[in-house]
Amino acid sequence: MMRFLQWLHRWTSLIIGMQVMIWLITGMYFSIAGHRTLEAHQYRQQTHFHDALQSASTGTAMVPLKQLPLTANTIQSVSVRLVHGVPQYVISTERGTEYFNASTGALWHTSAELATQIAQAGYRGPGRVSHVSAVANSDELYGWQGPGYRVNFADDLATRIYVDRASGTIVDHRNRLWVFGDWAFRLHFMDYSGGRNFNHLLMVSAALFMLWFVLSGLILLGRNLVRGDLNPRQRPSYLAFFQQHEQPIASACGGGGTCGLCTVRFSASAPAPNAADKRLLSDSELAQGIRLGCQHRFDAKAKVSVVNQGAQQLNLVLQHKRQLSPSVSELTFTCADRAEPFVYQAGQFLQFKIPTANEHEPLRRNYSFAAAPSRMPNNTFMVAVRCMPAPKPGLQPGVGSSYLLGLEPGDTVVAEGPMGEFLLTDSNISQRTQVFIGGGVGVAPLRALIQSELKHTPARPIHFFYGARTPEELCYEQEFRALHAQGVVHYHSCVSEASAHAESTATEHFEPTMVHELAEQWLAHQHSNHVDVYVCGPPAMLRATLAMLDQLKVPAKHIKFDDFGI
Amino acid sequence: MTKRLNARRWRSWHRWLALLVGLQMVLWGVSGAYMVLFELPFIHGNHLVKPTHQSVIAPRTAEQFAAVAQRFPRATQITLTSLWLNEQPRPVYHITRRGKTQLLDAQTLQPITLSADAISAIANRTYALGDAPLAQLTLLTENAPNEISPSLLPVWQANFADSGSTSLYFSATTGELVSKRHTYWRGFDIMWMLHIMDYDTRSDIQNNLLRAVIIGNALFMFTGVLLIIVTIFRRQAVRGRS
Repeated sequence: MMRFLQWLHRWTSLIIGMQVMIWLITGMYFSIAGHRTLEAHQYRQQTHFHDALQSASTGTAMVPLKQLPLTANTIQSVSVRLVHGVPQYVISTERGTEYFNASTGALWHTSAELATQIAQAGYRGPGRVSHVSAVANSDELYGWQGPGYRVNFADDLATRIYVDRASGTIVDHRNRLWVFGDWAFRLHFMDYSGGRNFNHLLMVSAALFMLWFVLSGLILLGRNLVRGDLNPRQRPSYLAFFQQHEQPIASACGGGGTCGLCTVRFSASAPAPNAADKRLLSDSELAQGIRLGCQHRFDAKAKVSVVNQGAQQLNLVLQHKRQLSPSVSELTFTCADRAEPFVYQAGQFLQFKIPTANEHEPLRRNYSFAAAPSRMPNNTFMVAVRCMPAPKPGLQPGVGSSYLLGLEPGDTVVAEGPMGEFLLTDSNISQRTQVFIGGGVGVAPLRALIQSELKHTPARPIHFFYGARTPEELCYEQEFRALHAQGVVHYHSCVSEASAHAESTATEHFEPTMVHELAEQWLAHQHSNHVDVYVCGPPAMLRATLAMLDQLKVPAKHIKFDDFGI
Repeated sequence: MTKRLNARRWRSWHRWLALLVGLQMVLWGVSGAYMVLFELPFIHGNHLVKPTHQSVIAPRTAEQFAAVAQRFPRATQITLTSLWLNEQPRPVYHITRRGKTQLLDAQTLQPITLSADAISAIANRTYALGDAPLAQLTLLTENAPNEISPSLLPVWQANFADSGSTSLYFSATTGELVSKRHTYWRGFDIMWMLHIMDYDTRSDIQNNLLRAVIIGNALFMFTGVLLIIVTIFRRQAVRGRS
């Protein structure tokens, strides 16, 4: 969930990141410039209409309204004011606002000279008028229809004042700095027309992306705070500590508290078990001071050791590579530089260190031994690797399997082990029927377990239910058929997909069947208390099988499973 | 290896800056989204009001304008308009002298003092959202509420019992509508305050706190950009091997 959130945060940042930078830079510009500069009002002089209408200079009487050349019929309001000493009628009608000279009764006319005087009255800067030009409208005045005059001043800001011709009033000031501010507004509001509208679709979309971006960041920050990532004195977990100190410790989930492999033992005063400890460890283990290494932080005062003490680092050399099925290969490694034999049990696994760009943080991938120790020479091991093709074109194939399958005889790889508790039950305790249920490459540890069981005389009754997608994908098929023929292993296989080659290999029915259904048909007629069940296969198969066993009321303590370390 | 260590250090910086200045980035995102998502005319409350009447000045009244105007030689601006009074539109004069405005009846040229009832009638006709549930009408002369400019005083505050807690403000001298406020405008004002980080006057965009936090956030974003680059770089390195 959090990983997904992190991924989404990262990709949203690619979409919105550039605009966030623009918002910050333009925001900084606004803050440095301030309102007055952004409005180009540095040299503006407020010009209220503060002269009395009839001073000595404007002694003449006002022309009555009916003598005005009005084009509209109805008047909504009438005003009179002084514009640069001349009384002006402002008449608002249903057709808009009209302006007249109240002394002459003529339609108001702003000459270039008058516009210059009006502009000068509204200016308090150091410059003089440098140029006056009549303009129809201006790019610098969004929404002003014009026409009017642009009065330029020779000052440090290259001030220009626009005067509306119809009313004789100043529209606004503009200058060199205003242009920067205007571009900042265009970029900040993402309205590149200059209209400074921030309610448009592009801006709304950007705002929603931004909202998601900052909220996902906030959630991730909260997670970091809760985890203590920002605590400078935070100590590593025992899992991280042992990994950093090159002390072999099993882990499949990388510290997520879900695989239950990284067990450590506290010799005294073990910390209280948390939810993950309780879920994955037995009561007796908890009582012995065993905890999950990833769930507890390093404490120099505590005496802690890795439970799986037998694990060692092995320098492996690939000896032999054999194709078991179209997608599964069997790799045989030797450990040439060891004098004493490496001890392990059937059902356990090795953790391979797959090199990455960072030599200190290799990928760790688990592979089960595919043969019992008794069947192999000393210091020689066999694993089965399934080629994980890219799920989709463009995505990368499985990194671990690609690396191992790319090795050639003579190549070396480092692994740690043995690890894992997927072992046969003690025949002194249980004389129950041994039932193995496997899917695909999950055959590997089951094969080792079956070989190990067959070493005993007499062996307990063995049933092996094995399923794959197609007949070709059934590994070690001939070997198990031979054991079946000898009567030492009851071998039941099935495939889940109908195959074109069905008749060529079919000695049994190859109706598409799921392996848990096949096992269920047999188990349904057995006493659920009289079997030990070992399950290994891909996640969906494992889930279905465990659900089936639960339904048949096979006691949980008689079920062991290996989940490929997923 | 050094690349990876760098990534770890930048990640640490990214997290610390997130804590120090990143929370303001969240506030910018939230306040910005608010201001962007609600249309500005809606925030301004244009939907709350309508004209009280169709404004028309009778020709006889208009003809007298010049003559009336000459009787107030010291005025700086004279306006003839109409106002909803006594259940009908009435022509009135606004005479402005030294920045102060007086309201006169256009027929009698006598000063008009607007009563609470007169403002109440105007407020009810101005309010555009259904039957006007005018809840409270208060004359404010001394202290303006924070949501309007003190230069508008004296002013009538008309509060409506609607979902947006609408307040319409009418000039006590002329009866004109001078301000419209409602919940979303008030929300916008708070968002603007959060956006510019001026918690006092809500108008100073040049404060040093804002500038410092902008610079901090620019650094914050810079560490984020580096993380992105490093992440992509690392992915490609892994792909190259597999």
